[in-house]
Amino acid sequence: MSGPLSASEAGMGFRIGLFADRRFKYLVIAPAVFILLFIGLFPLIYSLVVSFQNINMMEEDTSFSGLMQYRLLFQDLRLWQSLGHTLLITAIALPIELLIGLLMALLFLEHMPGRPVFVSLLVLPTMIAPIVAGATWRLLFDNRYGPINQVLGWFAGEPMTVLWVIKANLVYPAILLAEIWQWTPFMFLILLAALSNVDKNLTEAAEIDGASDWRIFWRIVMPAIWPVMAIALLIRGLDLFRLFDVVWALTKGGPGTMTETISIYTYIQGFRQFETSYTAAIAFLVIVMLSVAVIFALRRMEITR
Amino acid sequence: MKIRKIAAPMSVAALMGMLAAAPAWAQSAAQTAVDAAKKYAGTEITIVWEAGLQSLDPLNFSGPKWEELTGIKVKVIEVTTSEMFTKILQEHRAGSGAYDALNVIPSWMPDLVRAGALEPLDSFVDKYGFRDELQNIAPTYRDNQMTVDGKIYGFPDDGDLFILYYRKDLFEDAANQAEFKAKHGYDLAAPETWEQYADIGQFLTDKYAPKMYGAGQFRQPAYGIWMFEERYRVEGGKFFDPKTMRAQINNEIGVKAYEGMRNDNKFMPPGVETWGFVEALSSFLAGEIAMTISWPPFGRWAAGYGLDDAALSWVPKSTIAGKVGYALPPGGTPQLAAGFSLSISSSSKNKEAAYLFIQWLNSEEISLQRVQLPYALRDPFRESHFTDSEYLSRWPDAGAYLKTLRAGADTGLLDLSILQIDKYEEALRQSMSRLWAGEDAKAILDDVAAQWDSLTDKIGVDRQRMAYADWSAKPNAYPK
Repeated sequence: MSGPLSASEAGMGFRIGLFADRRFKYLVIAPAVFILLFIGLFPLIYSLVVSFQNINMMEEDTSFSGLMQYRLLFQDLRLWQSLGHTLLITAIALPIELLIGLLMALLFLEHMPGRPVFVSLLVLPTMIAPIVAGATWRLLFDNRYGPINQVLGWFAGEPMTVLWVIKANLVYPAILLAEIWQWTPFMFLILLAALSNVDKNLTEAAEIDGASDWRIFWRIVMPAIWPVMAIALLIRGLDLFRLFDVVWALTKGGPGTMTETISIYTYIQGFRQFETSYTAAIAFLVIVMLSVAVIFALRRMEITR
Repeated sequence: MKIRKIAAPMSVAALMGMLAAAPAWAQSAAQTAVDAAKKYAGTEITIVWEAGLQSLDPLNFSGPKWEELTGIKVKVIEVTTSEMFTKILQEHRAGSGAYDALNVIPSWMPDLVRAGALEPLDSFVDKYGFRDELQNIAPTYRDNQMTVDGKIYGFPDDGDLFILYYRKDLFEDAANQAEFKAKHGYDLAAPETWEQYADIGQFLTDKYAPKMYGAGQFRQPAYGIWMFEERYRVEGGKFFDPKTMRAQINNEIGVKAYEGMRNDNKFMPPGVETWGFVEALSSFLAGEIAMTISWPPFGRWAAGYGLDDAALSWVPKSTIAGKVGYALPPGGTPQLAAGFSLSISSSSKNKEAAYLFIQWLNSEEISLQRVQLPYALRDPFRESHFTDSEYLSRWPDAGAYLKTLRAGADTGLLDLSILQIDKYEEALRQSMSRLWAGEDAKAILDDVAAQWDSLTDKIGVDRQRMAYADWSAKPNAYPK
């Protein structure tokens, strides 16, 4: 018959129990983690391996090619042009979506009759699949039957044949219009939620103290909503960087390669030109660039906090 | 006496044997295929077919008929043309056996053959006695869209080519004839050169616009590149220097062709740069343009043939039936522009069953029915199609229509087909969109030539030279 445990025996038992308890938790979540790693990490590693080979779907060769694909990356003018196009669209669309979304959120901040209905209608564009939105805008921009040219014709007093998706000086406005129309409601929704959570005591106190609306907004409201706004900007920035659907539906990257984004170029290299290894190298370039951007952005947000 | 006693029964036996064998000799390729396929009753084969109207053939006609005759179910895998090459190649690389029979655009065949995606068909052709019927395919298609490196990889199954359709009532109008002759010094008739095309187009636009324009045709890059390839060769251009394999399309002839195409837009309806197949068709049928260049279905639908079929309810009713003339495009050598051949996937697990289906589809008897389906886009490609009495009776001008198609089948120009041709065509497609955007034609073509040279260097100059030599040696690669 065993006696009561000594203090050291009790301590040992406690540590063993704690260890087993922790280990059990890991064991429980391990299958899910392995599956996620397999789904996420395996393609990443496999793509990395492929990027060091010379695989092209038209040929049988799968030999190791070292850094050849990466050397080609830096010689590929079209790749860097597509990156430039992507950054241009991002640089224009993002501030406009933010500004309009913020103004809409401020407008709908106060309670008004039918507010839920208006808000629901305003966010409808974000519910449409981007390729469908792009295809619909293509019809809207149609030079013969599109309503946009029809309405312009009413104002002009004569039929208008504006070639929105053909002429070099019109393709970017067309793309930006479609993109901003679809995703400004996303900004609006996020910012409306953020504005709704601003402490009203602070703003009321500032009002009593005689602060102007602008000062209240800039000194109290903006700092309060900045963390949420920053996340919204980050999400939309990443979305714009991988922009494909709307541009493909409207212009297919044309005229020429004038509106070709990095996603479209990657698609063309992978699925039209069948340059499998080169496409993997492009994908890794994009991963590295976006990772650096995200880390930088998150660190800035941490510093601000 | 003894010899006579032996010889006579032997002769009779031999004669009876011959008579018994006679039905087998006389059996058509279609019946041969059906009889041989019955052993696969209860199975299913898949066939990749262009999505849309094209696939109504196997969905509504040939698929159900084959199943009724043989017990083999046909599953149609509809794929858009722009995705077909990718999907066929991807499936081959995956080795899944998902595709049995294929529709392939003939210019893709060298690439698909070199990638190992297509099954050679010679052994099947000989086993099932199809060589004779293959000989009856119009020579341009037979000699250029069937073999790669001397082996059969596909059966030409669609007589695609570009035809000029024009409003013969306007051309035959006495006042128009007099005015045109006075202005240009030659008779108003179907244009034989691109200069005449521009003269006539501008004349009719000046007289009838905005109600009607002199001409209109598809300008979307996917189609427009064939227009360029045809016009460039008609004007005397060659795609490559055969020795150095340097691209030649940025020469004076190429620049003239591109500038000519852009200048022609001036007498075409505003916005013609956005036109695809449907836009050009609807304008022509509505009487909004006097000339257009397109594939054979335009001619059938302009005559009103088949437009009562539910599948064609989207096609505008023709307002010009009986008023359409048919001619070869300026230069007299129309681009064949795509076309389809029936092939077998090398990773198919049902090769023989799939082969028998495509032999049956392509046979004299069945193909004649298929090219007359009102909704299908298969165009005449066998000699018998052009002279069939039933086809000739389909509409009053069917005879002139078929005669023009037959003439085009003789002089038609092949689509350029070399290794990795889609990459070269992609460069041309992009250049065409730049042309409509207003950039300088010479600068655009210089860029295209540079891209082509870069591609050739990457693929291997010697390899590409051999492929180009093989293609350009074909009688229909360049105008004679």
